[in-house]
Amino acid sequence: MTVSRKKAIELLEDEAGDVTRLFEKPVGQWKLALRRFRGRRSGMTGLFIVVGLILVALFAPLIAPYEPNEILIGVEDVGRRDPPCIHVLGCPDETPQHIMGIDGNVRDVFSRIVYGSRVSLTLGFFTVTLALVVGSTIGAISGYAGGWIDNILMRIMDVILGFPSLLLAIAIVAVLGPGLRNALLAIAIVTLPGYARVMRAQVLAIKENDYVTASRALGSSTREILLKRIIPNALTPLVVLATLGVATAILEAAGLSFLGLGAQPPDAEWGSMLARERNQVFTSPHLVFFPGIAIMLTVLGFNLMGDGMRDALDPTLNR
Amino acid sequence: MKSTMRLLVFLAALALLVAACGDTPAEETTTTTAAPGEETTTTTEATDPGTSFEGAVLDSGGCDYGGKLNTLTALDANTVEFVLCKPDPAFLAEIAFGVFGIQPAEHLEATGGAPLDNPIGTGPYALDSWNRGDSVVLSTNSDYWGPVATHDTLVIKWATESASRLLELQAGTADGITFPGVADLPVIEADSNLELIAKPEPNIFYMGLTVTHPPFDDERVRQAVAQGIDRQRIVDTFYPPGSETADFFTPCTLTNACGGEPWYDFDVDAAKALLEDAGLGDGFDTVIRYRQVDRGYLPTPADVAADIQAQLKANLNIDATIEEVESSQFIDESNQGLYDGIHLLGWTGDYPHVTNFLDGHFGKTITQFGAPFDDIAGPLETAASIADPDEAAPFYEQANNAIRQHVPMVPVSHSGAFVAAQAGIDGAHAPPWGHIQFNLWDNGKDTLVFFQNAEPGSLYCADETDGESLRVCGQIVEALYRYTIEGDVEPGLASECAPNDDLTVWTCSLREGVTFHDGSALDANDVVMSYTAGLDASSPLHTGSTGSWVYYDYIFGGLINAG
Repeated sequence: MTVSRKKAIELLEDEAGDVTRLFEKPVGQWKLALRRFRGRRSGMTGLFIVVGLILVALFAPLIAPYEPNEILIGVEDVGRRDPPCIHVLGCPDETPQHIMGIDGNVRDVFSRIVYGSRVSLTLGFFTVTLALVVGSTIGAISGYAGGWIDNILMRIMDVILGFPSLLLAIAIVAVLGPGLRNALLAIAIVTLPGYARVMRAQVLAIKENDYVTASRALGSSTREILLKRIIPNALTPLVVLATLGVATAILEAAGLSFLGLGAQPPDAEWGSMLARERNQVFTSPHLVFFPGIAIMLTVLGFNLMGDGMRDALDPTLNR
Repeated sequence: MKSTMRLLVFLAALALLVAACGDTPAEETTTTTAAPGEETTTTTEATDPGTSFEGAVLDSGGCDYGGKLNTLTALDANTVEFVLCKPDPAFLAEIAFGVFGIQPAEHLEATGGAPLDNPIGTGPYALDSWNRGDSVVLSTNSDYWGPVATHDTLVIKWATESASRLLELQAGTADGITFPGVADLPVIEADSNLELIAKPEPNIFYMGLTVTHPPFDDERVRQAVAQGIDRQRIVDTFYPPGSETADFFTPCTLTNACGGEPWYDFDVDAAKALLEDAGLGDGFDTVIRYRQVDRGYLPTPADVAADIQAQLKANLNIDATIEEVESSQFIDESNQGLYDGIHLLGWTGDYPHVTNFLDGHFGKTITQFGAPFDDIAGPLETAASIADPDEAAPFYEQANNAIRQHVPMVPVSHSGAFVAAQAGIDGAHAPPWGHIQFNLWDNGKDTLVFFQNAEPGSLYCADETDGESLRVCGQIVEALYRYTIEGDVEPGLASECAPNDDLTVWTCSLREGVTFHDGSALDANDVVMSYTAGLDASSPLHTGSTGSWVYYDYIFGGLINAG
C-alpha cells in the first residue's frame, strides 16, 4: 500500500506531533557542527581573536608603522625603552607616536608585536600540521595493523610521552641547534604522540564497525579502507586536538625563544621579546606587558576556539 | 750558566740566613732528579738548624722555560725571596691580585692541591658553609690582623637577573648588590633608602676578531670593521653615565696606556672602500658571539650584539647571526682563538698596571686573536721589563700603533660600573681593583647580606678567573700585598717586599703573628707551596679547579714544567 506524503504526515502527526522535520533535507555532520559552534559564545570569541590575529599577520606591513628590526637611533627623537606615546591620550604631538613604546634596541614595540604574530601563527600552524600528519599516520597504522607493529610504534610514542614536553624540546633543539625551524621540529616531535594515540584509539573503535567489515568483504585494499572508511570518521577528535594544539605549540615556541633556543635576534618573536626585557619588568613594564598580552591573547583565542569546536563536534553534547 | 745562577741564589740565601741568625747554618740540600730525558723537578729544601725550619724552594731550573720566575725560596720562617728572570716593575701590583692568596701548605697537601670548597686563609672571614645554589656563609675572624668586621656573619648570595637583585635590595633583604641594571640606576638614585656607589674600575669592552679565520685574516677587512661601526652610538645608547668611547685598548687612567695614535674615526665610506679592496664589497656572512653574563664593561650583551648586527648590515652589508654561548665555554673557546667571527668580550683590570691589559691580550703567548703579531708582542715584552715608565713609554706607543694597524680587536668602550647598597651603611665602597672589603661595611646588624650576579665556580681562586669566585675568596684568603679601597697597593700578608736595584729579586718579610683560620701560623713555606701549586705544572699540588691556571700562566709568563 502506498500513501501520499501529505497523508503520511497526517498519520504520523496523530501519533507523534510535528514530524515535518523528518522529511527535511538531511543536514551534514560538519554543517550541524558549525551551527552548534555558532551558538557557543566562547567559541565564537576565540574564533574572532584567531581571525583577528590572522588578519594582523597577513596585513602586518600595512598595520605596522615601522619595519620590525628598524633601529630608530638618529631616525627619530626617541630614547631607549621610552614608554608608550599615544597622541590621543595626551602624549605631546612633537613626540613621535609609539603606541607600545620603544624597546632596548630603540625599535618600535608595536611593529615588532604585529610582525611577531606572523612568526607565532606560522609556527603554531606548521607545528600542528606536521605533528598531525605524522602522528595520525603513525596512529592509524598502529591501530589498524595491531600486533608487533602497534607495540613498537606505541612504545616509541610512550618514550616520547615519558619526557616533560618542554624539556624534551630543549634537548632536541640543543642537538639540532637553536633557531625557529628547529624549534618547530622539536615541538612537532614532542606533540605527535598525542595525535598518534588519539588516532589509534579511533581506528581501533572504527575498524570493528560493520561498514568496515563490509568494505573488507567487498575486497577493498587496506589503503582504501584506511583512507576512505576509517580516517574520515576518525578526524573529529583530531581536529579539536589540533586546534588546542596550536595554542600549546605557540606557548612552547615562546618558551623556547624565551630560553634563547627559538627565534634568534633580530627576529621579532614574542617569547624572545619577553626574555630580552625581563629585567625591565619594574622599570619599563610595557616591554614585557605587550608581548605577554600578545601570547596570552593568542593562546586564549585558540583555546576558546578549540573548546567551542569540541563542544560542537561532540555528538553526545547534541541538544 | 744555570749552575752559576743557582750558586748565586744559594749564596744570597745563605747570606741572608747568616744575617738573620748570627751563626753559620749547616745546610742540607736535597735535589730530586727525574729519569734521564725528563726535566728536573723543582723542589729542594734547605734546613736551618738554628730554627729547625726547613725552607721550601720552587726552582724553575733556569729561565729557559720562558717564564718570569726563576726561584722562590723560603729563606727563613718569615722571609721569602722571589728571583725573577727579568725585571718586573709591576711585581707588587701583580702579587696583590687575589689569585695569589696564601693557604697553609699542610692544607694544600691534605686536599691534593684542590681546596675547592674548603679554603683556609688568614682573611677577615672564615668559611662557614657553601650552600650550593643558594649562598656562601662566612663568619667573622675575630683574630684578624686588620680591621675586624662589626657584624658576625657575611652571607653572599646570587641572582643572575639584575631585576631580582634590585628587588632584594629594595625589599631590604640585601645590604648590597653588584651590577645593577643600567635601566635601574635612576631608580636607585631616586630612592632615598638606597645608595649608588660608583666603581671606578678600569675596563674595556671590545669586539674580538681572530685574525687566522677568513675573512678576518685580511687586515683590510678588520680595518673596515674598525671604521664601519659607530662606537659612540653604542656607548651613548647602552652604557651608563661615566662611560666613554675607547680610543685605546687600555683605559687612560693607567700610566702609558694611551701613547700613540687614537682609534679610527667612524667612517663608513672608508670602510666600504677597504671592503671593496678586499673583494668583499657585497659583504659577507659572519657570526657575533657573546656570553649572557653581567659585567661592568658590557652591561647588556644581547642589546649591544643586536646593535652591532644591525650596524654591520646597514653600514657594510655584512650579514651577521648572533650566537649566545655558555660563559665558561665562551671564555675557553675565545682564549684558544677558535672563533671565526666577532666575539664580544671585555676585560676588567686585575692590577693597576698597563701590562694587565696589553700583555694579557697581545703578548707573545696569547692566541685569543690568532697568531700574535711580533710588532705588538715584541715592544710589549721589552716595555714590561723596564722599570722607568718614561723609558717604557715609546714601546707602549709602538704597541698601540701596531694594534691600531692590525686590528685584532675593535675597542668599543670604557664603562662606568656601579655597586648599590642600602643607604647609611658606614664604609660601603666599591674599589677600582680587587674585591670589596666587606669587613669595612658596617650595617649595624649581626649579618651583612650581599647579592652578586652568579655563584662562584669554586672557592680555590688560584685556578679561577671569574669575579664571583674572587669576591668570595678574597674575604677568606689573602695575598702578600693587597689593594686599598682607593686603588693603591699596600702590604698584606707581607709587611714589605723589597726589590734589588734592577727589580729582579724581591725579598718579602711576612707579617708577624698572623694565623690561619685553622689556628696554624703563617710561615714562608706556606707562601712557597701556595705559589708552587699554581706555577709548577709537575707538582702534585697543581690540581686546582679547571686545571688552566690562567692567571699564574699569564702573569708569570708561563708555567714551570708545563711542557
